[in-house]
Amino acid sequence: MTTTDTTTVETPSAPRVTEEELARRARRSELTSRWFWRILSYIAVLAIWEFALLDIFSFLRGSPLDPKLLPGPSEVVSTFFEIWGEGTMPAAFQATLTRIAVGFGLSFLIGAMIGILMQSKWFEGFFKDAVLISLSAPGLIWVLITAIIFGNRPLGPTIAIILTTFALVTVNVSEGIKALPKDLLDMAKSFRVSVFKRNRQIVIPHLAPYLFTGLRFGFSIAWKVTVLTEVFSSSEGIGFEMRISAVLFDMSEFLTWILAFFFFALFLEKVVLEAIERRYFRWRQAVTAT
Amino acid sequence: MAEIRIKNLHKEFGVGSDKVVALEDVNLDITGHSFVSIVGPSGCGKSTLLNILTGIETPTNGTVEITSDGHVAAPGYVFQAARLLPWRTVTDNLMFVQEDRSDDTKKRCQRYLEMVQLGDKGDKFPGELSGGMQQRVGIARAFSIEPDVLFMDEPFSHLDAITARALRRELHHMWDETKKMVVFVTHDVGEAVELSNRILVFAKGGRLEDDIQIDLPFPRDPADDEVAVAKAHVLRKFEELDLLAS
Ligand SMILES: Nc1ncnc2c1ncn2[C@@H]1O[C@H](COP(=O)(O)OP(=O)(O)OP(=O)(O)O)[C@@H](O)[C@H]1O
Ligand SMILES: [Mg+2]
Repeated sequence: MTTTDTTTVETPSAPRVTEEELARRARRSELTSRWFWRILSYIAVLAIWEFALLDIFSFLRGSPLDPKLLPGPSEVVSTFFEIWGEGTMPAAFQATLTRIAVGFGLSFLIGAMIGILMQSKWFEGFFKDAVLISLSAPGLIWVLITAIIFGNRPLGPTIAIILTTFALVTVNVSEGIKALPKDLLDMAKSFRVSVFKRNRQIVIPHLAPYLFTGLRFGFSIAWKVTVLTEVFSSSEGIGFEMRISAVLFDMSEFLTWILAFFFFALFLEKVVLEAIERRYFRWRQAVTAT
Repeated sequence: MAEIRIKNLHKEFGVGSDKVVALEDVNLDITGHSFVSIVGPSGCGKSTLLNILTGIETPTNGTVEITSDGHVAAPGYVFQAARLLPWRTVTDNLMFVQEDRSDDTKKRCQRYLEMVQLGDKGDKFPGELSGGMQQRVGIARAFSIEPDVLFMDEPFSHLDAITARALRRELHHMWDETKKMVVFVTHDVGEAVELSNRILVFAKGGRLEDDIQIDLPFPRDPADDEVAVAKAHVLRKFEELDLLAS
């Protein structure tokens, strides 16, 4: 700070840069370099992959990777546009997303309800182990069990999603309720603020981050479980398309579906959910900043 | 005119071996244009008394009544900690306790923010303010509903000396002009003597030990002889009651 002071004294005509502006610039350059390295990692992987397939390794008796078994990124990208042109991709995404929306929507409601019920000692005893099992058992188990029981019926994936994700919501809701800010509720009570307003302006904003955490983690699991169920037992959706291309041994198509899945998940996680977080939890940044 | 009537008030927390008596058989009337300070050692039930009077806690035994001209009085409460909603801006924190959202109300809130020197901080979140600023928002919030009775629990103890002095003066003006009642908890005997016309001394176990009238004219200068004598008198009471050790 002393250096800025001296420069302003020596060159009074120079435009004054406020500290806020400096902080903003520093933040922006940090963000840029972080993204640069992040994107570089993708480029590096793709470059190595493509390079390993080149036909220049005759001295090793062939390339390290066989393009028939593992096609290169350029081929995958062209397949991507082919499939996109056929219109299968939006349809598959729509099928998968609908399944997630229904399954996870239900799971969220059930999980939240159990979280509320678990505030009572008896219900806590009743649900405790179920929650624990759901949290610790690998999702694959539920996928297999529901596939065996329900076969091709849509109920299977829905139940698999509920069983794998409800506990995440339950745990978060329950924790949120336990941490309700009594001091603020008391304050509101002493000022004769109505119960409705107390709930709307204290209880809900307090629970929102807990719900959001449940939503976020639950969603990332729901997403994987849904695709898995489709691989095992379904006739549409991303997982189904993956199975078909694997069965037909069309590796390029198989990888295309994996990549599409991956990028879509990344988009939801990094763009959609983070935007929601920035929009609704600005006050939390204020808290952590101090 | 506000009136507070406390009869045989008794308050316990916990049961069995965890039982704590916070207030024991308190009988007390406060009427009219009073500025009452409550002093006493830590844990003697001062905050509990305010919590009961503002309706946060209920008495174990006995009754409390707070009325203003025959109807239930509206209390304002400044807490020991600021107790602001972290997810609302400063202005919205004040609006939260208002009955309506009219322009008049908004202007009134802004006026009280200016009173605590935070007129330009209305759009900030509490997390963006210092602890002392947050405490001042809590003070503005209680003032902004223009309550019949203003309860304050060590409101100035976290503030720097200069700000505290300015706010003490502001509080005295408000009390003097509006003829409202103020019930003020403090650890600072000097502060109590400077502001109040009545000092209640509580002892460990929540007993009301002494009730001291101070009939000196305002404003009171701590350097003034009579004020110093009054302060010495209260401190002597403390000694007699063996309260200074804690
Ligand atoms: N909600 C509660 N549950 C259990 N015990 C409590 C509760 N509130 C207060 N107490 C107990 O009641 C007694 C009085 O507490 P109170 O907060 O009224 O003291 P205080 O006079 O305000 O002290 P300080 O000057 O430190 O603020 C203490 O022993 C405290 O532990
Ligand atoms: Mg206290």
